Amino acid sequence: MKLVLYSGGDARANRELDDMTMQMIGVKNPLMAYIPASSYLSEIEFQHFVEQYRRFSVKRFLHFPIDIPYDQTLFREVMKADVIHLGGGNTFHFLLWLRKTKLLEALRDYVYRGGVLTGLSAGAIMMSRDITMAGMPSFDRDENHDNIKNLDAMALLEFDFFPHYRNSSRYDAEFRKLTKRTKRNLYACPDGAGIVIDGEKKTFVGPTWLFTEGKKIAIN
Amino acid sequence: MSSVKKSEVQESVKAYANFSKINGSHPFKTQVPDGRVEYQVRTKKGGKIVFFHFDLAREMGLIPKDHPNEITPELEKQILHTFSLQIINEWDIENKIDFTKDEIRPNTYMATRYLQLQHPDKSGRTSGDGRTIWNGTIRHQGVSWDVSSCGTGGTKLSPAVNIQKKYFQTGDPTISYGCGCSETGEGLETLFFSEVFQKNNIKTERLLLTLEYDKGLAINVRAYPNLIRPSHFFNHLKQGNYKALKQVADYYIERQVLNGDWEDVRAKSSSEKYNYLLKKVSETFGRVAAKFEDEYIFCWLDWDGDNILMDGGVIDYGSIRQFGLFHSEYRYDDVERFSTTILEQKQKAKYIVQAFAQLTDFLIRKKKRPLADFKNHSSLNQFEHHFEEAKYKNLLHKMGFKAKHVDDLFKHNLNDIRVFRRSFTWFERAKSQRGVYKVADGITRDAIFCMRDILRELPQLYLTRGELLKSDEFIEIIKSSYAKKTDLNMTSMLKTQIKKFQVAYLNLIDMCALLQKKERHQILLDVTMRSSIINKYDRVTGDSITYVVEKVSKCRPKLTNAELYRLMKDFSHYQTLDPDVMHKTHREDLEANTPKREQNILRDMAGIVRECREGL
Repeated sequence: MKLVLYSGGDARANRELDDMTMQMIGVKNPLMAYIPASSYLSEIEFQHFVEQYRRFSVKRFLHFPIDIPYDQTLFREVMKADVIHLGGGNTFHFLLWLRKTKLLEALRDYVYRGGVLTGLSAGAIMMSRDITMAGMPSFDRDENHDNIKNLDAMALLEFDFFPHYRNSSRYDAEFRKLTKRTKRNLYACPDGAGIVIDGEKKTFVGPTWLFTEGKKIAIN
Repeated sequence: MSSVKKSEVQESVKAYANFSKINGSHPFKTQVPDGRVEYQVRTKKGGKIVFFHFDLAREMGLIPKDHPNEITPELEKQILHTFSLQIINEWDIENKIDFTKDEIRPNTYMATRYLQLQHPDKSGRTSGDGRTIWNGTIRHQGVSWDVSSCGTGGTKLSPAVNIQKKYFQTGDPTISYGCGCSETGEGLETLFFSEVFQKNNIKTERLLLTLEYDKGLAINVRAYPNLIRPSHFFNHLKQGNYKALKQVADYYIERQVLNGDWEDVRAKSSSEKYNYLLKKVSETFGRVAAKFEDEYIFCWLDWDGDNILMDGGVIDYGSIRQFGLFHSEYRYDDVERFSTTILEQKQKAKYIVQAFAQLTDFLIRKKKRPLADFKNHSSLNQFEHHFEEAKYKNLLHKMGFKAKHVDDLFKHNLNDIRVFRRSFTWFERAKSQRGVYKVADGITRDAIFCMRDILRELPQLYLTRGELLKSDEFIEIIKSSYAKKTDLNMTSMLKTQIKKFQVAYLNLIDMCALLQKKERHQILLDVTMRSSIINKYDRVTGDSITYVVEKVSKCRPKLTNAELYRLMKDFSHYQTLDPDVMHKTHREDLEANTPKREQNILRDMAGIVRECREGL
């Protein structure tokens, strides 16, 4: 399984994670597909995405919004991409459309077939068992406008991931409480940091904190 | 009063001092006396500010640059004092309506005369602004702005007065257009449509503000650097009134020069000066006819030159539409007649140029010759030249080429563009076998292919695969929701056209790569990124604007001025299809500034645009 979890931030902040992503791809002239969390202004995000990876001499990109009708030709090409990147945005909205379009399963298959799946913020949360973290912390959470009840996501990770983390007691109090209840490990990263998973190997890039059974541990 | 308070008051008086310049005085009044009717006006009470365009007001110098986007009590006072007006019309005078002295304003305001085909007179003696007055003009940073208000009362230039041969009381419910009123919805429709057009480099009048009164009636105030239409010339031309025609032409030229839009030809000979006017008109209308056709903008151009500004700017959004597909057989049913189609607009625009050729000749020779004498005038060749050039360049732009690449291709590879255009047009104009049928406000025949979709997806698929798409893949992308199974039968003709399209498309990419000394994939990537913005999936149509305004109207009781202003800005930003502008945008910044409630409304608006994206 090849996964890269980006917390947030721009190309400059994510240089190290990008380097590792490119190393993991391991093919010449890779194809990178970008799936935004929402089509709303996603063409702008796509521009930034292209600029970010053009620096690594990537020449082939696909823009694939899923909350608008898409054609099967493009879908087939996306599934053949060397990297699929899931963008940031409203996690609930993203999940709704990944489920509606049956992409949750398709992306899992893609990963098991050896494809590199990367995700930023909402896109990274999507790789967890469910998107509980989108509703955290209570004072700065994604709005569930679409009123999604089933929060099950791709379940590619055995832990939870929290992006845009700020090292503060307000966050910590909620995360300690949560992990006591769920018994699941939670990794929290500030923008520019993230986690790279290559098979069994897990690499933490930038400052990362682990919340486990109510405890907080700095691991990087 | 404390010294602090006194200085605050003085500051705010100074900040809004330019409002007092908008007081009914306008150079057109004195320079073209036969071109207007003057009305006394009185204060109209009970007005509330629904919308105020802070950015536009800054651009016009009405508020300081650092003014917050909120209506301060002093600003509200200034706006209402300046714009909450109603004319004292002929009905009021006939019926000896008594108005107190203190509600009558010292200055008169003009309604301008211009040609309108719906008037029985057909020569512009009785027609013009039927429910509009010109508030005045204001100059700021080298630009003079015209300001006019719609809904300020029925004038004697309205069709109703001249068809029914009697005057009407303002607000008379027995007539609609002739009652002299406007509505809030009209203003909002103009606002959302015009701001989207403006962001997409389509010249247009803009809504400065809306004042609302009882029963949804409103005064909608528009602003533009020059609100003169061809029809302001054509009434005098029809009547053979040389003096007035010359006055309008000189007035118009002077304003264009003062605004820095035209070179200064004022001191040149009549022949040079008016031929320059003609040259600019043929150039403008050639380009604008091509732009309207390529952007699927339906603007009911006709011989009266009433529905467009002299510089090709859009005015009066009542009959403006933007189609999602090339529904080139749609006609609006205006009860007495059907409108032109989008393809007939070109001939109407050309006819306007022909009338200007006649008009220019009249101005130079002081003798009016028949319009038919000008059917082969060189200005019409000029029109064709500009139309064709714009058509080619617009197509290259829509494909996603940068401006420099467009110019280079046009200069060196015209034949290659011509081949692609032929193919593009074949698909664009393909119609459903369903034939012509009635819609709510007219008749139409459905276009079956969505050119925006194919232009958006094709470059990234070529970039990915490096080969042509199969015929069925191509059709899957380009087919619209209007296409029926029978429309998409894979005939040998269709297969040939699909191949021609793709070969010609890739040939242009390769020609561009050759000219720019780049690789094919580099051009394709550029085109992919630009085209994803230019041809984004959801683009406004006339129908979507109507529903968006309905949505906003429902939410409006709870929306403050500032919120409505932000919604307008965010919506027009979301509908900006200019990659050179959008490239500089950071989505995070945009969303961070938009409160949750407005984000919800915006999301609904986007849903509406998406739903209506292929319609009328």
